Amino acid sequence: MAVALPAVVEELLSEMATAVKESARIPDEHLLSLKFIFGSSAIQALDLVDRQSITLISSPSGRHVYQVLGSSGKTYTCLASCHYCSCPAFAFSVLRKGDSLLCKHLLAIYLSQVMRTCQQLSVSDKQLTDLLLIEKKQEA
Amino acid sequence: MAETLRRVLSGYSAVETREDTVEAGPPLLLLGAPGSGKTALLFAAALEAAGEGRGPVLFLTRRPLQSLPRSTGAALDPLRLQKIRFQYPPSTRELLRLLCSAHEAPGPAPSLLLLDGLEEYLAEDPGPQEAAYLAALLLDTVAYFSHRGGPNRDCGLIVALQTQEEGDSGEALQLALLQRYFPAQCWLRPDAPGPGECRMRACLEPSGLGPRTEWCVTFQLDGEMKITRWPTQAYDPSSVKSSSPGGQP
Repeated sequence: MAVALPAVVEELLSEMATAVKESARIPDEHLLSLKFIFGSSAIQALDLVDRQSITLISSPSGRHVYQVLGSSGKTYTCLASCHYCSCPAFAFSVLRKGDSLLCKHLLAIYLSQVMRTCQQLSVSDKQLTDLLLIEKKQEA
Repeated sequence: MAETLRRVLSGYSAVETREDTVEAGPPLLLLGAPGSGKTALLFAAALEAAGEGRGPVLFLTRRPLQSLPRSTGAALDPLRLQKIRFQYPPSTRELLRLLCSAHEAPGPAPSLLLLDGLEEYLAEDPGPQEAAYLAALLLDTVAYFSHRGGPNRDCGLIVALQTQEEGDSGEALQLALLQRYFPAQCWLRPDAPGPGECRMRACLEPSGLGPRTEWCVTFQLDGEMKITRWPTQAYDPSSVKSSSPGGQP
């Protein structure tokens, strides 16, 4: 992702990816670090990964976007190239107050990349445009 | 696109260096008061990128330029001008639509995306989530252009934002939010002018721990832009380092 995470998070995610490749599981100490950095969001994000709530949607153009099905049943759109999620927690805790690095949906995307448990969906170029734009209507 | 602007300000063209890969650099926010020369610098960056032998340059602005700014060095080569595609989204909604559907547009991927007057688009929808959405979509569009361009064909991004002389707290908040998405910034600040000219101090702050660099941008009465290196810093790097990150107004 273009907007960089703090180095410590980058390192943790890459260590987790290596561990998953080698032993197909995430060591407990990595889970503890995750909990230490992200607090309760870490558990919620892992839960989203377990439920396979993350979908990578791509079109023939090669552009893609993530959708995460939240625990409340609402679907949130997350941009794949930089930090943006349409959920209220992102607007409040990340953007307005600045006391969180990520919301649980963005963290779940990172974790699903590490664990390779992302659902994939192909749509047409036009449908992808609508997915990116629909955000606006939800907010209004 | 900090590196394109650096090339413009440094007066050396990437074409002359004959490198295979032209570095795009991080997304850059160009900041300055009304009339500080933001559009002229954006246009100079467009000409620079158009001369690099890569994809076209996409120039987004709310309304057509009143006149083509006089450029530095590179003359207004018609071949370069042809590679600059101007588009005039009249509202925030149209701008979002253009960015969201960028992958539906045919033709080669742009090598540089420029947006002039971000403040006008933000004024329509001033909430933090709306501003973040627009900034993130700009980055996402550029990431997609880079992907379509192929390896070593990164698409750059420069966005000009007008700042007020006396910034209010709302503006400071919005700027802090935009800086999340634009790690590099270039400030244009007025400087004591000579007779019949307008002099600005351009301060480029790259992302991370890179050194900041300053130039003197002078607009003469006939509109010609001249750029020279800011005189003091070459000799005393420590004074540059110790000054506040925001610089002096």
